[in-house]
Amino acid sequence: MAKLKLQINGEEIETEAKEAALLLDVLREGLGLTGTKRGCETSHCGACTVSMDGMAVHSCVVLAARCEGKEITTVEGLSQNGELSELQRLFLKHGALQCGYCTPGMLMAATALLRRNPNPGLEEIKIGLDGNLCRCTGYTGIFEAIQACARGQ
Amino acid sequence: MEEALSERQKYGSDAMPIAGGQSLLVLLRNKLVDPKILIDLERLAELHGLQRQANVISIGAMTTIFTLASSADVEKAAPLGQAAAKVGSTAIRNLGTIGGNVCHNELGADPPPSLLVLNAVAELRRKDGTRRVPLGEFFRSYFETVVAPEELLCRIEVPVLPNGAAGVYLKHAISSEDLAIAGVAVVIIPDGNKGGAAREVRIGLGGVASVPFRAAKAERTLAGAVLKDEAIREAAEIASSEADPMTDPHASADYRRKMVKVLVRRAIVAAKQQLERKSNGKA
Repeated sequence: MAKLKLQINGEEIETEAKEAALLLDVLREGLGLTGTKRGCETSHCGACTVSMDGMAVHSCVVLAARCEGKEITTVEGLSQNGELSELQRLFLKHGALQCGYCTPGMLMAATALLRRNPNPGLEEIKIGLDGNLCRCTGYTGIFEAIQACARGQ
Repeated sequence: MEEALSERQKYGSDAMPIAGGQSLLVLLRNKLVDPKILIDLERLAELHGLQRQANVISIGAMTTIFTLASSADVEKAAPLGQAAAKVGSTAIRNLGTIGGNVCHNELGADPPPSLLVLNAVAELRRKDGTRRVPLGEFFRSYFETVVAPEELLCRIEVPVLPNGAAGVYLKHAISSEDLAIAGVAVVIIPDGNKGGAAREVRIGLGGVASVPFRAAKAERTLAGAVLKDEAIREAAEIASSEADPMTDPHASADYRRKMVKVLVRRAIVAAKQQLERKSNGKA
């Protein structure tokens, strides 16, 4: 076991994990942050997407030890004082989810995209979400929610 | 760096270097590799980032694919930037590195065909020395390269294309985050003295043989030629016969060969159109 000092959702957290533990496992099993979903575990589906220093990454292919000194945000960190983020609110409004399994990853990928590019075109949105699969919605509602967020609606 | 090279020397094939981890951590989880030790290269500052020198872009092995896809310097090596933009998905490009990509040497990786047509050179270091290996001699077989157990890939040097040259990378995949069923990079270097003729056409193929490679026979038919439709079609046909693809769950060998023919033709036509736009722009 190795000691880890992580910065997660604005909090300094000390924990222990196996050598070469993956961020996904530390988040879910170690810290109980189960908003981050376990999907394919091969970096295809994006259910485990979190933000690392503002960038979308798949936490199933990130060593937890690599996260020391970096700012990690999970879906639990999007709401502030019990209020959903603007993007979360618009996901609800536009029906951007059905079963909801991909939603935390979609939200983290889209939040990272909007941070880098506050006014993305549809093609840029598709590229920003190219690491995230949704089997229910056909993506349309997700694209609409992100476009609405960019327009400030 | 010295410590990393010492560890590499000490542990040999018991250790594996980890770059972005986007492939290696999947292999580890599925126990397809079982190193006793991981040598983490992330904090080696000299392996990160790229420098534009006079006629060469020197790319540190730990430079992320995202950095390559968004670098203005890499635009001077056109097909490489285009290939970087097509690697995996946003999350993979954010952490995945160029060094990891070429050392992993997975079938259908996007950057290698572009590096081949740019005549890139890999710099390999070991504790007691450095050697430079042209990318054309770097790949050995599926998942195998010439990097020895005591070596680290440190940099890739990419010569900048001469002014007036054009380069294109085209990828065929079912889903955008897949590896290429076939990936084709083309560079055309025009003959300045002979309007409309190509001094050199370079064709790099990925996903269609045990290693990415240059379609040398097809290149020879176009050297010095005027790039007429018939000549392009013939070269594409020859390139397709140079491929030695395998059948896997993504595509059959026959299909891959056919796609080489289609993509080589399209890539040469697209590069030729780039050249025409450039020369019209000047006139």
